[in-house]
Amino acid sequence: MSEILKVENLRVEFRVSQREGGRRVAVDGLDLKVSAGEVFGFLGPNGAGKTTTMNVLLGFLPPTQGRAFLFGVDVREPIARQRIGYLPEMTYYYKFLTAEELLRFYGRIFRLPREQAESRIDQLLKLVELEEVRGRPIRTYSKGMQQRVGLAQALINQPDLLILDEPTSGLDPLGRLKVREIIQRLKNEGKTVFFSSHELGEAETVCDRVGIMNQGRLKAIGRISDLVGGNQSSLEQVFLSIIGHPPGDGGQQTPQRPGN
Amino acid sequence: MHSVGAIAVVVIKELYRRKDFYVLFVLTALITLLMASMSFFNDRQVVRYLKEICLLLIWISSLVIAMVTSARQIPAERESRTIFPLLAKPVTRGQVLLGKFFGCWAATGLALVVFYLFFGVIALSRETEWMLAGYFQAWWLHWWMLGVVIAMVLWGSLVFAAPSSNVTILLVIVVGILLLGRHLGKVAARLSEPMQTIVYVVYYGMPHLEFFDVRDLLTHQWGAIPWWACGLATVYALIYTALFLTGAWWSFQRTNLGER
Amino acid sequence: MGTAWLSMVLGGVICFSLATVYDPWHQNRTPTTSHDPSMMEVILGESRRLFANHFYVKADVYFHSGLYPSIFDEAASEEDHHLEHTAADDGLRDARHEHDEHDAEHGFPGKAPDDWIYRFGTHFKPSRHLHLDKPSEARELLPWLELAAELDPHRIETYTVAAYWLRSRLQKNDEAVAFLREGWRVNPDSYEILFELGLVYWQGKGDAFRARNVWELALRKWRLRNPTGGEDRYNEKILLHLAKLEEEAEHWDQSLQYYQELKASSPHPEVIQKLIDEIQARRQRKILN
Repeated sequence: MSEILKVENLRVEFRVSQREGGRRVAVDGLDLKVSAGEVFGFLGPNGAGKTTTMNVLLGFLPPTQGRAFLFGVDVREPIARQRIGYLPEMTYYYKFLTAEELLRFYGRIFRLPREQAESRIDQLLKLVELEEVRGRPIRTYSKGMQQRVGLAQALINQPDLLILDEPTSGLDPLGRLKVREIIQRLKNEGKTVFFSSHELGEAETVCDRVGIMNQGRLKAIGRISDLVGGNQSSLEQVFLSIIGHPPGDGGQQTPQRPGN
Repeated sequence: MHSVGAIAVVVIKELYRRKDFYVLFVLTALITLLMASMSFFNDRQVVRYLKEICLLLIWISSLVIAMVTSARQIPAERESRTIFPLLAKPVTRGQVLLGKFFGCWAATGLALVVFYLFFGVIALSRETEWMLAGYFQAWWLHWWMLGVVIAMVLWGSLVFAAPSSNVTILLVIVVGILLLGRHLGKVAARLSEPMQTIVYVVYYGMPHLEFFDVRDLLTHQWGAIPWWACGLATVYALIYTALFLTGAWWSFQRTNLGER
Repeated sequence: MGTAWLSMVLGGVICFSLATVYDPWHQNRTPTTSHDPSMMEVILGESRRLFANHFYVKADVYFHSGLYPSIFDEAASEEDHHLEHTAADDGLRDARHEHDEHDAEHGFPGKAPDDWIYRFGTHFKPSRHLHLDKPSEARELLPWLELAAELDPHRIETYTVAAYWLRSRLQKNDEAVAFLREGWRVNPDSYEILFELGLVYWQGKGDAFRARNVWELALRKWRLRNPTGGEDRYNEKILLHLAKLEEEAEHWDQSLQYYQELKASSPHPEVIQKLIDEIQARRQRKILN
């Protein structure tokens, strides 16, 4: 299977005050590959380095060391983002634009022909159930509606790789169900989904593989069924033991080393 | 250029959906009409003072619109985090910067058209001849001057901590250049070294925005300036705009957007 | 709550009462002026004189069709200043003065700027020395002169210059009279304003009677301020005009008296003597006829 996403020996350092040591290592020696058609869950506690890794993949942040590729193209090239869709954790879109105008704007960035863009906008607004409010400014939308606008803009270019940062954060159960359905549908269409989440239950439901980050390092990676082996009965137990909080009813659990 | 155009259109939409332009235009019109209602020694045909006041108000309003609009472009995108879904698309930081510049410049150009049309109506109400070429040149030079200022402010928005400090500092500089720029050479001639060299460096290095201020020619009906002078001034503005935008691009490239 | 309201009302009454006592006391202590401050004077305070000066210079700029003297040009022009007022031709500057931008530059201490920036910049500003020649164009000075007078009513030349333009170019004699009277009300000792008022009456309205009265008053004011003569030779202008007025009215003795007084103080007595001889010759001819 072709590698849609590849990270090689990624290291990201931030400068901090001298009192804090002068530098902080957010990601340390990350190696990661995601194949086409996979749904990959990128898990870890707060501060593990998930968002930093995503920022590097999306070109917001240069790596201190190492490289990252999307579709074989270095992430520093804008063309690497031609076939991806990105849904940020918090919904931040131009409040003075309507949903329709926002999608049209992003469609122009992707150079979609006008007719194709208009048809795509209609489809997406129907998919995320925002047809009736398409002409209202985004500042009048609820949080859930803004999240759905985000999902629509992430899909405007029919991406082959969808990068989702905490896609169900702040959503009600119905919203979460909707997101899971969309991820499943994309998977059925052969698209690749790379998402970070705290919701281990959702990861268990939709993911083919997961990677668990802690303190900047990839501690475990593989199929859920492979990781949840031995004495651990759920992904949550695996997660807790990896981050140093072994479950109370078990003995010492040895986490899987990174790699299959 | 698709992306640049799309971003520019969003900037224009933002300006015309905010109240700034309308408030300033109404203020300008009100003050001008108030001044027009005054009679001096029972003479209601006095026109030059009215033209001068109207042009002064237009210059103040346009500077405010241009500087405030461009000062908040990048900082507002970063603060509201709309920069992330934008840069996750196949668009470079340079294209974002160019799009912001052209958007601000086009928006202020359109605002200037409205202002100068109003000025033309006021002048024509008391004058018999309408110097079309002179009016066009005044608008054209004013617009290019604002282009230089917008490029300066965009760079400042990536250097200074807050939009308010950016606008304050650059407003003082711009007004200083407009009032004193042409005289710095005379000041330098009277100084002793090393101040003379420093002042000469500033004199020759700074953008001479006073080249673009032909209000006195318009007020006192001097007619159009030679077209070659107008063309040279345009090239001069283009060079400085390019310089400032290059500086802004250099600063933007070095900005870590994903840092927390 | 009721106590608070009552206290506020009581406080207001006490303040009002105190004000009625304090205000007359304050009025008695401060010197009275014949001029009620306008809103602009109250808002701007003493800085209004700066604005008044700026507006006066603005009127001069308008006279020169936008040619703006910089502080450097003005410094040069003060060193090289020649104002020769004539009785017939009085304006913001003497129309015969040779002052232009190049002269100002040559008069400026140090090298005149010759760099490409300065030369290129002259295309975007008025740079030729022009005057507002058409009578109707003189109206463009009026707003700035009126504003300057509003802000600094004690600046005499604002009134005299404005009156000149109103009288000579715009034929607005009534407005000139009203303006000068307002200036005189604020500056009761100003013989300059009175002189200009006389000009309006004589040349503008053809009212020799009023002109004579006003000029005689101006002469008295001048004598009061300059009992021993001195540097101020404004009296020569007044005497000359009085003499011409009486000459026109064929009051020969009176005219000769003024010319004699003028001759006594003039730096060119021979010129005045010629005028005296002419008057005497005319009188002789009249008598013979």
